[in-house]
Amino acid sequence: MRNIRRFLRIALFLIVGLFLHYVMPQQDIARVTSTEIIRTDFSTFNRMFYAQADAGAAENPTRDLRLINTERKATYFFGLIRGGNETMVFRNEDTGWIYPPYFKFDSSDLQAEAAASISTAQPYEWVIVRHYGWRIRFLSIYPNAVSVRPAPSEDYRPFPWINLVIFAVLIGGLLFLRAMWAQFRERTVDPLADRVGDQYDHVSADISERKGRVSRWLGTWRKKK
Amino acid sequence: MQFVRLVVFGFVILTVLYVCITYYSRSVRREKLENRWEDSPVEGMTRDDYIAKGMAKYESGLRKKLIVLVYIIPPIIIGTIIYFIN
Repeated sequence: MRNIRRFLRIALFLIVGLFLHYVMPQQDIARVTSTEIIRTDFSTFNRMFYAQADAGAAENPTRDLRLINTERKATYFFGLIRGGNETMVFRNEDTGWIYPPYFKFDSSDLQAEAAASISTAQPYEWVIVRHYGWRIRFLSIYPNAVSVRPAPSEDYRPFPWINLVIFAVLIGGLLFLRAMWAQFRERTVDPLADRVGDQYDHVSADISERKGRVSRWLGTWRKKK
Repeated sequence: MQFVRLVVFGFVILTVLYVCITYYSRSVRREKLENRWEDSPVEGMTRDDYIAKGMAKYESGLRKKLIVLVYIIPPIIIGTIIYFIN
């Protein structure tokens, strides 16, 4: 039982962590080398990694996809360690009104900005690409670029203020929910359980003494032996 | 169409949140009143009267009205995001 619980806890932690890693904004220092548009047919495997058609357009099974080809500074371990240069391809799609909640409607404008900052000759012009998502080659999925702005220098390291705020809000919300649940249990569930539990208690007083509150409450639903 | 979906689902979720917070806030207030009574009972008043009076004060107070912010803050956040992203 304890192993199952531990397994479930680790699985939940992993799923939430991966989800947040996918959805949270990240900033890359990159140099736009070209922009292009390819026609894309989505498969059942990679459909969930793409957004929908542009906010004002109709959804069709196949459509054009805007791509921004870049060379970026490789980063590892949440951007703390810098590597060399590597190629990275970003898609550029409207996220629309639903998911993830970036409310991005300006893909065309972003494509124009990216095209305007194409830099293929020295000295290079570096930009900060804010994006979310993953590049997984065997699924043909790309991170979605959200904004492009000029970087002060090649070695500039943007600080993730927005992520900090989002995490603070998430943790605060979680603690609030926990406080709400504790209050509900203490004021509503436990008095009820105590009333029901009284009849049960004198049958197995010493056992229920050792059980926690919730399991005692659960115990009231079990058949009496 | 997406926008309608966001509004409808958002409204449902926020309503659930609003109801939960309303109950939570009321429960916290009642507990506080109970504790205050245990600490220093008021002369010439029963415990139930004391709590009923405190709760009536809460029901008409500002704190309860502030819970409406649950409906106001998310649209403001969404508006801010839309402004900065686009």
